[in-house]
Amino acid sequence: MNRREQPEERRGYPMNCEEALPLMHEYLDGNTEGREAAELKRHLLQCPECNRIFRELEMTEALVKSCPKLAAPSDFTDRFMQNLPVRPKRQPWFSWVKRHPAVSVASVFLLVMLGSFLSMWSQDQELTVKGNNLDQLVIEDNTVYLPKGHRVQGNLMVRGGNVQVDGEIDGNLVVVDGKYHTASTANISGKIYSINQAAEWLVYQVKEIFSPAVQ
Amino acid sequence: MKDTEARLAMLARSGDRSAFASLVDLYKDKMYHLAYRMLGSSHEAEDIAQETFLRVYTNLDRYDENQKFSTWIYRIATNLCIDRLRKRKASYSLDAEMPDGEGADWYSLLPSDQPTPEEEILLSETQEHIRKAIDTLPEKYKSVVILRYLQDMSLQEIGDVLDMPVTTVKTRVHRGREFLRKKLHSEYGGKIF
Repeated sequence: MNRREQPEERRGYPMNCEEALPLMHEYLDGNTEGREAAELKRHLLQCPECNRIFRELEMTEALVKSCPKLAAPSDFTDRFMQNLPVRPKRQPWFSWVKRHPAVSVASVFLLVMLGSFLSMWSQDQELTVKGNNLDQLVIEDNTVYLPKGHRVQGNLMVRGGNVQVDGEIDGNLVVVDGKYHTASTANISGKIYSINQAAEWLVYQVKEIFSPAVQ
Repeated sequence: MKDTEARLAMLARSGDRSAFASLVDLYKDKMYHLAYRMLGSSHEAEDIAQETFLRVYTNLDRYDENQKFSTWIYRIATNLCIDRLRKRKASYSLDAEMPDGEGADWYSLLPSDQPTPEEEILLSETQEHIRKAIDTLPEKYKSVVILRYLQDMSLQEIGDVLDMPVTTVKTRVHRGREFLRKKLHSEYGGKIF
């Protein structure tokens, strides 16, 4: 902008060569207005050196423009398309996965963990009883009964059934997916865990892994 | 408003191979010509053209359909050419440390100095002088001059492609033009002017 205003301020003075060169480029860019072009022309008529440079620039530009346009080999498209792999269907989550590799790996790991716990959870919904000296127990239909005076050493785990405890347990009582009832005569030295949901089952499994006290 | 090319790109993105083939057909000559002028070798020109289309294909998901497709593909192609020029420069320099595999690359560049028979026939003597002068242009003027004169782009379009202000593009066009003029003047003087 400043440069454009210069000739106006210096109106009446002849244009010098330093001013002329950038103006020649502007002219070749197609950016000179009438008055600027006229001043440039006047200078070029007076100055043989600038005249020569201007003609050379014009010629250079014409020569560069005249460079023959080259075409790609005629079988380019065919060859290229033949080697092009099939594009996988667009999966929006895939780009997200690409951008967040750490989170993705972590969530896949969690999914697998969760899956294995859940499969353990739903493996069988039949009545399962785990513990030592099971001969102390009376099992009827869906109910596990520990009569008064009977005693289980260690943990007792019952899954998929109800428990009635009248006797003694030297450890924890774990009831999964079932109800329990303890009589006044019952004596359980450990804790009672009643687990009725998958999430709780998961917490219990994790606890079992990390805390030997539960054993 | 989406242009035809943007629409073809959207079709290609959803798996339409013929749409992509149309894009290749539309741009293969432009990309080949651009790369040929930037690198001065038909072998490398084809290489760059293929690489450009491959990148377009694998990055279709990232194409912003509100952007002009031509700006996008030209940006990919010019960047590939500039990378290749820099790599070449680095491998020619004696001081440059040559990483593994770079040596092979240097050899693969060697035959490119000889024009193929086809090129020899095509070029008149003057055009050959021009070609050589363009070859010697410093990289930052080269891309601008080629996009301006051999791809008929406006200064604004060049600015979009190279991601630089129009004023910078303009300065580079001027300097590139001046460079070519001086080169042709000093080397061929009366023969050309």
